[in-house]
Amino acid sequence: MGEVNTDLARLLPDEIEGWRVTAKDRLYNRATLYQYIDGGAELYLSYGFKEAINRTYSKPGQPAMVVDIFDMGSSQNAFGVFSHAREVVEESFGQGSQYTEGLLLFWKDRYYISVLAHPETAESKKAVFTLARNIDKAIKEKGPLPEMLSLLPKKSLVEESIRYFRHHAWLNSHYFVADQNILHINQDTDALLAKYGKKDEQSILLLVNYKSDGDAQRAYDDFIKQYLPELSKKPAVKIEDGRWTSCQLQGNLLIGVFNAPGEDNARNLIEEVKELKKREGGKATR
Amino acid sequence: MKTRVRTRREFLKDTATATIAGALYFSLPEHLFAQEEKKARVVLVRNKNVLDTHHKLRIEIVQQMLDEAVTVLVGESDPVQAWKKIVTPTDIVGIKSNIWDALCTPPELERVIEGRLIGAGVPQKNIGINDRGVLSDPLFLKSTALINVRPLRTHHWSGVGSLIKNYIVFLEDPSTMHPDTCADLASIWKLPLVKGKTRLNILVLFTPLFHGIGPHHFSPKHTWAYKGMLVGFDPVAIDSTGVRILMAKRKEFFGEERPLSPPPKHIFLADTRHHLGTADPAKIELIKMGWEEGILI
Repeated sequence: MGEVNTDLARLLPDEIEGWRVTAKDRLYNRATLYQYIDGGAELYLSYGFKEAINRTYSKPGQPAMVVDIFDMGSSQNAFGVFSHAREVVEESFGQGSQYTEGLLLFWKDRYYISVLAHPETAESKKAVFTLARNIDKAIKEKGPLPEMLSLLPKKSLVEESIRYFRHHAWLNSHYFVADQNILHINQDTDALLAKYGKKDEQSILLLVNYKSDGDAQRAYDDFIKQYLPELSKKPAVKIEDGRWTSCQLQGNLLIGVFNAPGEDNARNLIEEVKELKKREGGKATR
Repeated sequence: MKTRVRTRREFLKDTATATIAGALYFSLPEHLFAQEEKKARVVLVRNKNVLDTHHKLRIEIVQQMLDEAVTVLVGESDPVQAWKKIVTPTDIVGIKSNIWDALCTPPELERVIEGRLIGAGVPQKNIGINDRGVLSDPLFLKSTALINVRPLRTHHWSGVGSLIKNYIVFLEDPSTMHPDTCADLASIWKLPLVKGKTRLNILVLFTPLFHGIGPHHFSPKHTWAYKGMLVGFDPVAIDSTGVRILMAKRKEFFGEERPLSPPPKHIFLADTRHHLGTADPAKIELIKMGWEEGILI
């Protein structure tokens, strides 16, 4: 925790709907974020976290309103950390938001913002939204999304299921694959997970963009060896739970499909990604 | 520490580990759990009246629930006699609670435990309650017995915050445990200050948190009034059982299989690597007491 002398403080008003700042702002960097959210810090660190400000507003008879603004270094990282727990597709604030009983989360440019007032009252809900609008307005620019999102086929995509990450821990967010990093996902790779189709019949698409074709090949080889040795003989494999899995490389891009209800579902999804990549020309950009 | 890779496919094929992985990583149907002989006893006690209309705990019901669970666990009809089998009057007892502000160990439960320890003959001066200050608490430093009690919740980085993880503050620098999503949390239980001292584990499920979003990892929308407690001697068996309840709730809430993110690998390894206890549902004798509606397990 450090003295507050940051641009982050300039994004925040001194007073909002009668809620006033009653405590000193707190500022955290990569070394001190543990002091604030302990094990939770790992999630933010894995998305390139730079610094954060924490401010508490108070009003008699109302819950405290706690706002946190995380500078994630890039809009792609801010989208990534927001996508990590996204349950709905909303754009009421910033470039994407979700609200659930006293907690508003949104992202804009390189910032990820949380406003919490719990337990929720009608007055606190209004204040949370007003504060969010203020912050949204104070962040002047929008930031670009990860370019590899353009490689996701649109048909049957469950948009709120998209997860963008650079740490292997999140590979299992939708579907447990392995307890170790068999796909070599790290800070030098970009990865996307997304669901396709109706519940109970959903396929899960994984895209991983590696730094080089060689890195991609090594990850592919390891994955096939550890998870899908049969793939060397056929284009898709029905695994022990009756669902289909497939995986292909295209340059530095690994395309994997898990949990497909049929062989065609797995193969078609991969072909659609390959077609999108071909249209974009060359290697997928990061 | 390098370990071999364990994949979904391996778990599906290998019945020896399928039951554990089915409980912790994905929703394997319970009927596939193999039957084994030696079992760890875990008592699940629930009471629909433990929360009042304002969602405050009724301490007399908390007392009743704990007494029911401990007597069944120990095999004594009288709670005082049951607690005398857990601690002795010469013990110095640390009650390791949890102060996470959104969902802490209920003070009512701490008082009930303290009362039963005193009833078992432990002088009040030899009983302490602490969480993040255990390493600077003289009583904890000279403790001969620990009672481990905390609520069940999902966690950003370890999948769940439950009994095994509750001892992380016995480390000088808890962040040293963070690599690989806190995989080796059970190793803390081998520290001299902790090893062999835990007499009872209580995982509180009055209002568990089954999903977390945002930096505070908390929204009341993602808690529910389960009104239960899991009590036993094996922290791994209790944590594994708690995870199964969380997974069932997540499936009910989201309408689909929704693995914990990240998976609670530390519970799996507490069994298979550190041998602290069993995470295998087939090796757990789960005794269910009280309110049955919405039990989820």
